[in-house]
Amino acid sequence: MAMDEGFVELRGIASRYGSTQVLNDINLSIAKGEFVALLGSSGCGKTTLLRLLAGFQTASAGEVMVRRRNMTAEPPHKRGMALVFQSYALWPHMTVAQNIGYGLKLRGAPRSKIAERVSAMQALLGLQGLEARKPSALSGGQRQRVALGRALAIDPEILLLDEPLSNLDARIRLTVRHELRALQKRLGITAVHVTHDREEAMVMADRIVILDAGRIAQAGTPEEVYNRPASAFVAAFMGAENVVPLSGTVDGEAFVIAEGPVNAAGSVALMARPLSTGSVEARFRPEAARLAPAGDVMAPGTGITFRGEVLAVSYPGGHWRHVVRLGDREIMADADRAFAPGDAVAVHVPAEALFLFSSPHQAAGSTNSRAMTSGKVSA
Amino acid sequence: MSGRFLGLLLVLPALAVIAFLFILPLVMSAVGAFQVEGAFGWGNFEKTFDLYTKDIIFSVVIIAISTALIGLLSIAIGGYLTLGEHPVAVAILRWLYRWPMFIPFIVVGQVLRTFLSKSGMMNNVAINLGLIAPIDATSFLDWRGIVIAFVWKQTPFVALLVAGAMASLNRDTIEAARNLGASRLRVLIEIVVPQVKMTLTVGLILSFVTMMSVLSVPLMINAQTPTMLTADIAFRVNSYGDYGVANALGLISLVLASSVAWIYLRASLKERA
Repeated sequence: MAMDEGFVELRGIASRYGSTQVLNDINLSIAKGEFVALLGSSGCGKTTLLRLLAGFQTASAGEVMVRRRNMTAEPPHKRGMALVFQSYALWPHMTVAQNIGYGLKLRGAPRSKIAERVSAMQALLGLQGLEARKPSALSGGQRQRVALGRALAIDPEILLLDEPLSNLDARIRLTVRHELRALQKRLGITAVHVTHDREEAMVMADRIVILDAGRIAQAGTPEEVYNRPASAFVAAFMGAENVVPLSGTVDGEAFVIAEGPVNAAGSVALMARPLSTGSVEARFRPEAARLAPAGDVMAPGTGITFRGEVLAVSYPGGHWRHVVRLGDREIMADADRAFAPGDAVAVHVPAEALFLFSSPHQAAGSTNSRAMTSGKVSA
Repeated sequence: MSGRFLGLLLVLPALAVIAFLFILPLVMSAVGAFQVEGAFGWGNFEKTFDLYTKDIIFSVVIIAISTALIGLLSIAIGGYLTLGEHPVAVAILRWLYRWPMFIPFIVVGQVLRTFLSKSGMMNNVAINLGLIAPIDATSFLDWRGIVIAFVWKQTPFVALLVAGAMASLNRDTIEAARNLGASRLRVLIEIVVPQVKMTLTVGLILSFVTMMSVLSVPLMINAQTPTMLTADIAFRVNSYGDYGVANALGLISLVLASSVAWIYLRASLKERA
């Protein structure tokens, strides 16, 4: 990518709230013009990280650098960043034009310049004719665009977005995603976007940074975090919520999976994954599984095949979704045709869609394990 | 039908209390203002304006100045409580500022009498610090004393309302302005105060009406002319038994108080439109 690296840099950022460690050892480098999504569930520290970047909170350790200048102690407005709030935070006593123009007014811009910039923003965001309205007379989507216009009016180098789409209707949200992304590309602005919606992050971002309990669990392109999750947490967060304990041995460049109570023997290429001989946690997405009647021969060797029984079937659209019992646990698997409850099936997961993680401390309970038998911690 | 009757019966005691103890005396006073020796006429008002025009203007000016100062101070207090960045100072102010609210007007009058008089604490301290010569010591027990008493007593009440409204603002609206580079003073003036405008107005109007009805402060601090309307009313009744002029003065106070209430009503209607 032809971006200059290290435009924004976070070095060893830590943050504490009382005795709770909210963020820990965050190191992140963002290139100019890059769109980075901070993804995580609530309480993972993503909003804290954004507010820290914006200068509303001070880090207990670490540095924020922009263009190699240390910004850690600078006040919010000296950082060249503009923040779009989740609540939009429009000023209810000001009109649309006053809201958008306020940043320029603070900078002492002449009135004609402000008016010019405000109408340019209105044109850019499709807010023509609304300049005299108060925020209370706008729809959710319009408010969101005014908030964006207010942030962009001061021509910031970095745009910070704190879940700006979460208050929009589901249908509007889908179009605004693309509009926002297109706008960011057109303006060449660097953007950091906080969200808990993985699809939103996938669609909008150049790079996704997944946070878990105040640490970066993985940072990479959407394809990377989707197809090569670095940890069981990331895999689960990216939708691989089916989890089955397996065991196997490392054999050269392959990981050989031993035959278990619910699975046939199989093998997957190691591909530099840090797996060690012993028990592993296997994760896969419902849509990655292939269902076949039990007894059908599937391509052996690549991936893994489980034996199970269909418990329930539903049609969420596009394909049939099955709940399949594998021994003492249940998984979800999609198929183009419906299998009846009670059918014995083979569930095949190809090697590239099977995520394996060595489970040294048997920590499957921390993720969205599908172990249905309550109280039983699966290994 | 019987249910409706029962309902009326239930509210009747409350209605009766309001009618006989509030509305009736008010109407009688209002009517009394227009009665001179049994006949209707403007006599009381002529006398009132002859004798007390200066006092009416004095009252309005004093209370207007006090209201303005109360407004400024409560914005300052509320603003510091909302935007202050020194947690200890904020905590101390939060603890301290409400106290005058719990002190009765008469005590405020007494305290300020000993504080503001020619040989009072204020002058003594100033003389001891060498700020003024003993010969220059003046008593503040005049209109200034009344303003100080009113402001001291009423600011906490308005500040309480204003600070509460400021605390319930969406903090993001403050941070959004800080993010764009607004100083704390500009945030206060351009972002915070406009959003609590209605609460501030209500607080100031309630204060205005309260100050219109205070008797003890003008009696204790400003025993001279011109004085406040309340002192005149008391004087007409106690010294002359002249209820006619007292009623006329009362009606004038009522008109003054309701005119501010009318400003408020108009503003709130405009806000809703």
